Amino acid sequence: MSTLADLAGLESGEHEAARRYGRYIGWRLAQGLLVVAGAVVVSFLITNLSGNPGQVIGGSFLSPQQRQQIIDQLGYNRPVLQRLGSYLAGAAHGDFGTSYQTGEPALRVVLTALPNTVLLIGCAIALAVVVAVPVAMLSVLRRGSAGDRSSRVVMMLAGALPDFWIAIILVRLLSVNLSWLPAIGFTSPQSLIMPTLALALPLIPAFVRLLRGALLDVVGQDFVTVLRSKGFRDRFIVAHQALRNAMVPFVTLLAMQIGWLLGGTIIVEVIFAWPGIGSVINNAVQARDVAVIQAAVVVVACGYVLLNLAADVVVTVIDPRVRSGARP
Amino acid sequence: MTARAVQRHAAMRSWPRLQLKAHPTLRLGLLVLFGMLAVAAWGTVALPGAGQQDLAQSFLPPLSPGHLLGTDQLGQDVLAWTSAGIWVGLEVSLAVVSISAVIGISVGLCAGYFGGIVDAVIMRVVDVCLSIPPLLVFVAAAALLRPSMPMLILLISAVAWLPYVRLVRSVVLVERERGYLLAARLSGATRRRLLFGHLLPAVSTPALVLGSLQAGYVLLWEAGLSFLGLGIRPPQHSLGYLIADGRETLSTAWWVVVFPGAALALLVLAAHLIGDGLRDLVQQDVEIIGR
Repeated sequence: MSTLADLAGLESGEHEAARRYGRYIGWRLAQGLLVVAGAVVVSFLITNLSGNPGQVIGGSFLSPQQRQQIIDQLGYNRPVLQRLGSYLAGAAHGDFGTSYQTGEPALRVVLTALPNTVLLIGCAIALAVVVAVPVAMLSVLRRGSAGDRSSRVVMMLAGALPDFWIAIILVRLLSVNLSWLPAIGFTSPQSLIMPTLALALPLIPAFVRLLRGALLDVVGQDFVTVLRSKGFRDRFIVAHQALRNAMVPFVTLLAMQIGWLLGGTIIVEVIFAWPGIGSVINNAVQARDVAVIQAAVVVVACGYVLLNLAADVVVTVIDPRVRSGARP
Repeated sequence: MTARAVQRHAAMRSWPRLQLKAHPTLRLGLLVLFGMLAVAAWGTVALPGAGQQDLAQSFLPPLSPGHLLGTDQLGQDVLAWTSAGIWVGLEVSLAVVSISAVIGISVGLCAGYFGGIVDAVIMRVVDVCLSIPPLLVFVAAAALLRPSMPMLILLISAVAWLPYVRLVRSVVLVERERGYLLAARLSGATRRRLLFGHLLPAVSTPALVLGSLQAGYVLLWEAGLSFLGLGIRPPQHSLGYLIADGRETLSTAWWVVVFPGAALALLVLAAHLIGDGLRDLVQQDVEIIGR
């Protein structure tokens, strides 16, 4: 039987490896779909098992008739299973209902805010990586030295600081005391600085810790000993050889972190009144705008799945062993 | 020596003898933790009225007579409130870690021991649950449920049990193939004995490390939710709520925000130091990522 792999002249071992790799990617795709489906169901459950929003919206200002009207409008007069059915049918083609606050489609409300959050997360991750990579490399090169130990202490302290506390202190110092930066909103590029700092600061220790561990693993391997015996400098080995190997677990962690940040910027966004997905979620939650909450949960889960797939692809590019199926 | 004595001797030797001097990280962590506990105990005993309002004494700066850390807008003593907040934080954290450890270890033992379809189903469920950002779930659910301490504990536990499953399963997969377990099985040990007599002790040490690292993250989650007004509110005291409260008057009274935040950071630091120290002590590689 001649397959594409035979035509390409792959030997039987490579053929097998390519098939294994294909199966692995297929499995990851299926897993991603499962996650999105799970998120759709979970979003329905948490918003529907926890009470009837019609009872809460509008506070105590509504008459019983008005309240009943709201409940009818939101569809809460129907049995749960029927609601689930129509929710799933809607979700399948991207219809999560309309936000009762603005009358806009819920998905559009979330997607409009998404770019701002992506921008913020991008800046925070970039800053964290730029700081973490050199720190981790130096701490591996000079492991056991006073510098290594003190950097570990500093990292541990930074990891213990609550992000919302950092954010508040930053506002107090940089906006109130020194009036260098705008305190809230997204009016100019300077607005990015403080939220980025508040998000990046707790990330740096996590990154340094993982990179340091991964680098130490690599440095203990035989090929490093060979390189050293050939007279390569430690600095060269770590920067050019070990770092690339250590990137594999790091990229995977990075994707998970960004995925979590998509939903995890809520507090920082609220403090800085950043017009992103976190503020949208907070608004929707305070107003019990169920449609928007559901759409946000699903969008975040989709983002998470896409990021993880992207990480898989990046890992394949970095590490040929993964490509050949030797280490899926 | 009788067989019993040999057994007992072996059991004693298998426990790491705790020499704190050789483990500076662990020692520092315990020191910070007990320091915070002492401050909190003193604050609760010496200043009984956490949340007692006295408008005549609003915005007293730190080191005022009778108010070591100052007072807030309503004249409430910051030290008393912070102390109460430390207790509440630790209470939530301990409860969440115990609940999720029990659930996570049981599920992980089942997944690792039974393998096959049980394992596959459990691990896929865990994968799906892990992919939803915890804070998002907390916020969505906390807003729709009535905020209270038991609710908050259950909510955080609903997410916090997942890492235990992964950890315990991976340990069981390794232990399952080791000689002592095969020997126990050969000598006719029941399934219950294998699970609880042999595998449970093997997974309890890494689970302990995970638990102490996790305690720190739970403290941050609790404070974060309370900060948003979705967690613990007065009459119970949370550090997060106090920080949110102080935020509004930050330009006049920095101390209302700075001290509870520092207390929270120190508690988290202690949890991380203890976790790291325990990890070094038992030489187990336990990684917990994300917050």
